[in-house]
Amino acid sequence: MNHNSITQQSWRQRKRAIIDNVARYTIGLGGISVIFAIVLIFFYLLWVVFPIFQSPTVELKSQFSSPFIEDVTRYQVIEESGQLVARVQSNGDLVFFSMTDGKEVHSESIDLNGANEISQVIKYDVEGKRLVLILDNHRLLFVEISYRVNFVDGKRELNPQVSFPFGDESVELEDVDQIVHIRVVREDEKLTLLIIDADNQLLMRSFEVEYGDELGEPEVSSLQEIALNVEFMVVDTFAQWLYLANKDGQLVIYNIRDLESVELVDQMIIVEDERQLKQLTMLLGGNSLMAADDKGAVRQWSLQRDKKNQYRLKDIRGFKSDAELTFLIAEMRRKGLVSVNQQGEVMLYHTTADRLLLTEKITDDKILRANLSPRANKLLLESVSGQFYNYEIKNPHPELSWKSLWSEVQYEGYDEPKYIWQSSSADNDFEPKFSLAPLAFGTLKAAFYAMLIAVPLSIMGAIYTAYFMAPKMRALVKPSIEIMEALPTVILGFLAGLWFAPVVENNLLAILSLSFVLPAGLLLFAGLWTAMPLNIRRLVPYGWQAALLMPVVIMLVWLSFMVAPLFEAVFFGGDIKHWLLDNFGIGYDQRNSLVVGIAMGLAVIPTIFSITEDAIFSVPKHLTNGSLALGATPWQTLTRVVLLTASPGIFSAVMIGLGRAVGETMIVLMATGNTPIMDMSIFQGMRTLSANIAVELPESEVASTHYRILFLAALVLFLVTFMFNTVAEVVRQRLRKRYSNL
Amino acid sequence: MNKPIRTHAIDPTLISSTVMQSKIEDEDICLKVNNLKLFYGEKQALHDVNLVIPRKRVTAFIGPSGCGKSTLLRTFNRMNDLVDNCHVHGEILLDDDNIYAQDVDISLLRRRVGMVFQRPNPFPKSIYENVAYGLRLQGINKRHLLDERVEWALKKAALWEEVSDRLNDSALGLSGGQQQRLVIARAIAIKPEVLLLDEPASALDPISTLKIEELIYELKSDYTIIIVTHNMQQAARVSDYTAFMYMGDLIEFGATDKLFTNPEKKQTEDYITGRYG
Repeated sequence: MNHNSITQQSWRQRKRAIIDNVARYTIGLGGISVIFAIVLIFFYLLWVVFPIFQSPTVELKSQFSSPFIEDVTRYQVIEESGQLVARVQSNGDLVFFSMTDGKEVHSESIDLNGANEISQVIKYDVEGKRLVLILDNHRLLFVEISYRVNFVDGKRELNPQVSFPFGDESVELEDVDQIVHIRVVREDEKLTLLIIDADNQLLMRSFEVEYGDELGEPEVSSLQEIALNVEFMVVDTFAQWLYLANKDGQLVIYNIRDLESVELVDQMIIVEDERQLKQLTMLLGGNSLMAADDKGAVRQWSLQRDKKNQYRLKDIRGFKSDAELTFLIAEMRRKGLVSVNQQGEVMLYHTTADRLLLTEKITDDKILRANLSPRANKLLLESVSGQFYNYEIKNPHPELSWKSLWSEVQYEGYDEPKYIWQSSSADNDFEPKFSLAPLAFGTLKAAFYAMLIAVPLSIMGAIYTAYFMAPKMRALVKPSIEIMEALPTVILGFLAGLWFAPVVENNLLAILSLSFVLPAGLLLFAGLWTAMPLNIRRLVPYGWQAALLMPVVIMLVWLSFMVAPLFEAVFFGGDIKHWLLDNFGIGYDQRNSLVVGIAMGLAVIPTIFSITEDAIFSVPKHLTNGSLALGATPWQTLTRVVLLTASPGIFSAVMIGLGRAVGETMIVLMATGNTPIMDMSIFQGMRTLSANIAVELPESEVASTHYRILFLAALVLFLVTFMFNTVAEVVRQRLRKRYSNL
Repeated sequence: MNKPIRTHAIDPTLISSTVMQSKIEDEDICLKVNNLKLFYGEKQALHDVNLVIPRKRVTAFIGPSGCGKSTLLRTFNRMNDLVDNCHVHGEILLDDDNIYAQDVDISLLRRRVGMVFQRPNPFPKSIYENVAYGLRLQGINKRHLLDERVEWALKKAALWEEVSDRLNDSALGLSGGQQQRLVIARAIAIKPEVLLLDEPASALDPISTLKIEELIYELKSDYTIIIVTHNMQQAARVSDYTAFMYMGDLIEFGATDKLFTNPEKKQTEDYITGRYG
């Protein structure tokens, strides 16, 4: 006889054990990989998003003593990449030196056409490469600096060049004897010169220019007497608004669009009482003035229309500092500012984010001159004692703050703080508006309307299918609905956007009326059916009655579409959309929440239906029998026992459906109109987080703030769906503990 | 191989003594089954059953698996209606009303004929709400009425002492035996006239079984009880009358002591002596 020992394994048993182990570890590995992949996605998102929450830094890279013997500098500018600095000296020398060690790279002497020296230099572009030299004989010389990039032995080399866009002859302006303040604006073919002379008079000259040509005859404005002693003069890049201010902070604004009729727009005091205006500069884009007083307070003033359609300067926001600012420099590419105060502290601001990003003491020297590179990543300070300090600023994403992402922000040109998502425009000076609030709102709104359609339909359908329907009919209905889930959402979205949206627009009343015509009609039919004689009712086997409703539904829909236009003509003046707009101010968008709700509802219905149906169907028969045996009607049994026992399943069905609706992309992309507005109206569109990522990510520059913020949106979406699913699971487990009966 | 023939499988002293030697002719009849035929589709499950169930007595249905005893039990509260393709011919009179008449309200019938199933099936609610369930169905929601009746039913089901301090706990936390007594309490809370017990102790341990049997003994003073059981000792212990069924036929019906000690039919004797089943 064969005795099997329990310690000695036969080959067959060993094989069984090996298969068992292999299966266990393979399945375990699979499960762990899934979790690992999800964690990895999470950390990747976090890794991309993380830099926007990093604080900026300022670091001293090098310092060197000034190679210039005496300070005769009239102008200094840093070149784009931060390698070279150009310096204009009063004798007409244009010197280029290295930013890192101060070594001279190139030098050129400009012929001053007989003048003794340069008394003032003014730039007339953002980056400071187009210059106007004001000579001591009150003539002007236009100079342009450019850099040619050469690669020598694989090394990048910059060759500075100097050119004269309007000829190398100095220009004399007629009737201008003395230039105290001058500003120059070039806008396309028009060069505008704004001059304050010694008598505090405003003189304006406007030239039609072509590159290389000499300046022709100017258009001359009428003389303007300025009532205040002009100390600060700022003009926007379109030569439309001229701001003049005195030391006490009194400001006047002129509209100089039309030189023939210059008009005073507004005047006011832009510093607090008993303070002095120390700095006045324009923020990128030319919409905002930044004014700093002698106590270090900086205020942003933006010109905007008031309710009477009059332009007024509005105080938008302010920043504080401990000491008077000696320099206030606007960044050239962003709505940011860099300042240096008397205590040697450097400060970084961002206006949209409403943040003082950094305050750091960097020097004890008295600073004579400060320059910021065009990319705002290099800061060059020159002290009175002739020391140069070369700082590197790392501040890649100043635009974002928790506040600017989630609360209302006062943007330039808006009359009140708003939630706006507007990430880009054709114009580089544009203020990006990164508020996630409208997107999150749109996501929840789309999900809300989808659930509004899907939850009642799918849950009630599931209840009927699982509890009342004949098994043969159930075997047809359940797979049919479940197969709807296989329908690609892009097709649903496409149909919703291109076919269904116009249908809804043209038959709005019919579609709306269905929401009560269908239930009422079906109830009426059910009532009539139960009133029928028994022998007619017997024709339909128990559980198949629902099939009778199909022609009824089709007929009701057809009837609604037929009758609605008549109703519309009689009661709503022919068009319910106009009627709504005229009577209630409700606007109608073709791609709206109604369309999205129905389309996304259709996408979500199979999920919720399937899980709910399973949950109800798997309620043990002995529970329903127990209830029926106590004299409960089927309806009482359903509401008091079946739904209660199935509640964990129904709850998780709804939560999974919600998770799907929140993350759904294609339908909302194609059927919402993608308008990032915050309006709960069912007739308005929305833009969801997911659609926003799909629309904008392909166009955003890698590692830009915009790119990272889209990843932040993805992270938010990930966390929201993660939260929904976790809550669903936790609640489901709890309900299951309470109500499951196994 | 032959099974040993046991002439007296049941010790006559075990048989319930109150109605020893009772005669069906002397009893007040509660349910009367006349020519009952039952079909599951084409298949006939009950052949022409004629039977009377005496009031306030325990009647046991015994027989081998598939003999139709549970089916017959379920005809008394029309639970068979829930089975597809189930047709019933003949009549069952409950106090002279045919429960298979056209205009019968099944809910009302089931209130009068309560039922307890083989497996304990408390609802996923509290102990209190389980017992109150049948009352709430009837629209009784007054707290003091419910309190009163729940306590009464639980006491009647000999469960009150074990659960009185945790009425609001989930019924699912009770043991199997407690659950079954809870279900009995739930059934009697609506004060039915007849209580159908479908193998009520088959899923329980011996101690719990004993408690259920004691409970049946207690309850029969107020209710007409019909019990289906596989356990012949149990039938002998708790019932006054026994019906033996085989292959959809009612073979023999009579007082329990007589049926177990001196059966009239050979088939009955074969079954109770353990020759088949």
